[in-house]
Amino acid sequence: MAGCQRPAAPDYRPKPAYGRLFCGLTHARGDQTKTMKSGLFIATAVLYGIACVLYLTLLTRRSESMRRLPGIVFVSALGAHLAFLTLEGPPPGDIPLADISQILSISSLGIGIAFLLASYRFDVTVLGAFVVPVALMLFLASGLGSSYAPVSPRVESAVLSFHIGANVLGLIAFALAFGAGVAYVLQERLLRRRQLSGLFQRLPSLDVLDTIGLRAVLTGFPLLTFGMVTGTFWLLRADGSEFYVSQLLGLLAWAIFAAVLVLRVAAGWQGRKAALGTIMGFVCTLLVLAGYVVRAAGGSA
Amino acid sequence: MRDFVVVGLSHRTAPVEIRERLAVAPEHLENELRDIAARGNFDEALLISTCNRVELYATSANPSEAIRAARDTLASRLPEATSEDVLYAERGVAVVRHAFRVASSLDSLVVGEPQILGQVKEAFDAARNAGTAGSLLSRCFSQAFSTAKRVRNETGIAEGTVSVSSIACELAKKIFGHLDGRRTLLLGAGEMGEGAARSLRQTGTQLHVLNRSEERALALAESCGGRVVPYERLTTELAEADVVISSTASPKFILTPELMRGVVRSRRHRPLFIIDIAVPRDVDPRVGTMDNLFVYDVDDLQQVAEENLAVRAREAAQAERIVEEEVESFLVWRRSLELAPTIVALRKQFGEVAEEELRRALSRLQNLSQSDRAALEAMSLSLVNKLLHQPMMQLKAGAGEPDGAQMIDTVRRLFALTDDDNAEKEASVEADAEASVTQLAAATASGPTGESK
Repeated sequence: MAGCQRPAAPDYRPKPAYGRLFCGLTHARGDQTKTMKSGLFIATAVLYGIACVLYLTLLTRRSESMRRLPGIVFVSALGAHLAFLTLEGPPPGDIPLADISQILSISSLGIGIAFLLASYRFDVTVLGAFVVPVALMLFLASGLGSSYAPVSPRVESAVLSFHIGANVLGLIAFALAFGAGVAYVLQERLLRRRQLSGLFQRLPSLDVLDTIGLRAVLTGFPLLTFGMVTGTFWLLRADGSEFYVSQLLGLLAWAIFAAVLVLRVAAGWQGRKAALGTIMGFVCTLLVLAGYVVRAAGGSA
Repeated sequence: MRDFVVVGLSHRTAPVEIRERLAVAPEHLENELRDIAARGNFDEALLISTCNRVELYATSANPSEAIRAARDTLASRLPEATSEDVLYAERGVAVVRHAFRVASSLDSLVVGEPQILGQVKEAFDAARNAGTAGSLLSRCFSQAFSTAKRVRNETGIAEGTVSVSSIACELAKKIFGHLDGRRTLLLGAGEMGEGAARSLRQTGTQLHVLNRSEERALALAESCGGRVVPYERLTTELAEADVVISSTASPKFILTPELMRGVVRSRRHRPLFIIDIAVPRDVDPRVGTMDNLFVYDVDDLQQVAEENLAVRAREAAQAERIVEEEVESFLVWRRSLELAPTIVALRKQFGEVAEEELRRALSRLQNLSQSDRAALEAMSLSLVNKLLHQPMMQLKAGAGEPDGAQMIDTVRRLFALTDDDNAEKEASVEADAEASVTQLAAATASGPTGESK
C-alpha cells in the first residue's frame, strides 16, 4: 500500500466520512440504514469470531462430526460480510476503494474467499486457524474509521484504483502465504521435536505447505510490485517527495518478498527460511495498513 | 431358536505355527465355506482367516451341536493334543460382541490396525457368494462394519501408526506430501533397513540400494524390487534421494556434517528425510540440526510407536463403549425377530382395527336386534381370522427356514409392528452365553494392547 496516502497535501479536501461505525455517522443517511449497518457489522464480526474459534478447535482436537462446521459458519460470515459491503458501498461519483476502511473490509472478504478456494484445491481446511484470524482482524480494523486518500486533481483516478486494487489482491495472496508459512514453521518444529501426535497429524505435509507458500508469493509479488510502481508514480505526480514510515515499510515488505522469491528460484531456498521470510513480509504489509488505520482513527499521523 | 456360535483361534490362544495350519487363502474361502456348511449342518457359516486369527462363525437351531461340529471341523486340521487348548468357542450375544470387536480392530494384535476390517469384509463377501450368509450373519456383520466405522471416526484408536516401518512411511508422507515417484536410498543391506525400505517401496517410491558388498545388495534389491547402485556414487545418490534409510555396520558416522553440507547444496535445499536404523549410528547428530534435513534414529521411531500405542490403549476404552452400544442395538433388532411376539402383535393390530370398525358401524345401525349385532360381531372376528390365517401359516412355516428372520423382519416392517409389548419377554439370546467352552481372553476393556509388543 506504499505511497497511496500523504498527510495534508495541498489539494486535500476532506470528505464526509461514511462507514465510521465506531465514530458515529456524520453523513445523513437515516437512522434505519445506520442501525442495519451496525447490526450487520456486528453480526459479521461475531460470525468471523465463531469461525475463528471453530477452526482453532479443528486444529487442536479431532472430531469427525464437526469437520464441516467451521466451513459452514465461515461461509455465512462471508455472506453477512457481502451484505454489509453492499450497504456500505461508496456514494456514486466516488472512486471505489479510496477509503481505508473499505480497503480493509474488501481485503478481509477477499482473504476469506481465497482461503475457501485454496482449501478446496489443496484440502487444507486446518489452515483456517491461521488465515481466518487475519481476516477477522482486518474486518475489525475496517470498523475503526475511514480516511480518504488525498486525491489530487492532477492524478487520474484510474491510477489510484489500480494501485489500491493491485495492493489488495497482493495482500490477499500474502495472507494465504502467511497462513501456510505459520503452519510450515509449526509443523517443522513438531517434526524436529518428535511431537508427532495430535497437531502434527492434523497439519498438512511440509511439501503442500511449501507449495502453497511459493505459489501465493509468486502470485502476490507481481501485484505488489505493480502497486509499488503505481504508488510511486502517483506520489511523484502528486508532487510528493517526502517518504514516510508507511512507505518505508512497504518497500521493506517488497524487498523481503523479492528476496524470498529470488532465493527460492536462484538458490533453491525452501522450507523454514522461506516460510519465515514470508511471515516477516506479511507482517510488514500489515504494519503498513496499521499505519493507515491509526491515521484514519486518529485524524492524522 | 436359532443362535450364533463362533469357534476359532487367534494370536491370543495360539502361536503362529498352529495358526498357519488353519489359515485359508482368500481364493479358497468360498469352496471351503460350502464344504464346511454342508458337513457341519449349519444354517449359516462365515470363515474369517487372517494371519492372526481363524474363526468360524455360524448360526444353528442347535447351538451346542453347532459348536461341536465347528470344533471338529477346525480340530481335524490341528495336531491332536493342541486343539483343546487353542480353540475357543462362544455362543449367543458373546459372538455378536466378538464379531464387532474383531471388525473394530479391538481384538487385533496391534489394536487399531486398519487391515482387519478389509479382511472381515472379504470373509463376508465370500460367505455371501458361497450362499452361506443368511439374514442373521448378514445383519450381524453389516452392523459389525458400521461399528468399526463408528469406532474409527469417533475415537483416536487408529491415529498414529505403531510399527517402526509404517511410522517411517507416515513421517515421509508428512514431509513430502505424496510418495509416488520419490526415491528411497537404502544404505547398507541389513535386515532392519529392509523392512522400512519395503514399506516405503509399497507406497510407490523407487528404491536404490547401496552397499559395500554388491552381492548382498543385489539379493535385497531383487526381493524388494529396487536397483543396486555402486558405492562410489554415494554423494550423487544422496543428492538425488528423498528418503535415506541407513543401516550399515560401520563403526563410525557415515553421514557427517561436512559430507551433508555439500549434499544439501547440490540438492538445492530440497528436504531430505534420513532414517538411521544402524547401531552404532551412521548419522552424525549434528546433521539433524541442519535446515531441510530431518533425521530420525531407531530410538525416535520406537518412542513414537510407544506413544501411539499408549494413545490407542486410552482410546480403546471409548471404543469398547461404542461396541456395547451397538451390541445393544443388535439385540433389540434380534428380539424383534422372534415369531411369537410378531404373531401376537399382528393379531392385536388386526383385532384393534376390526373392533374399531365394528364400533363405528354399530353406532350408525341403531335399530338392530340383539342377534343381528351378534352376527355382525362374529363376522368381523372371522374376517380377521380368515385374513390372518394364511399369513400366520406361512410365517410359522417360514420361521424355521434359514432366512426366516428376514421374513419376520419384512412382516414387522410391512405392518409397522413395534416391539414395545414384547421387550420384556425376551432375553433368551443372552441366555446360555455362559455355556461357552473357553472364555475369550479379552472380552472387556482391560488392556487390549498388552501383548502387542
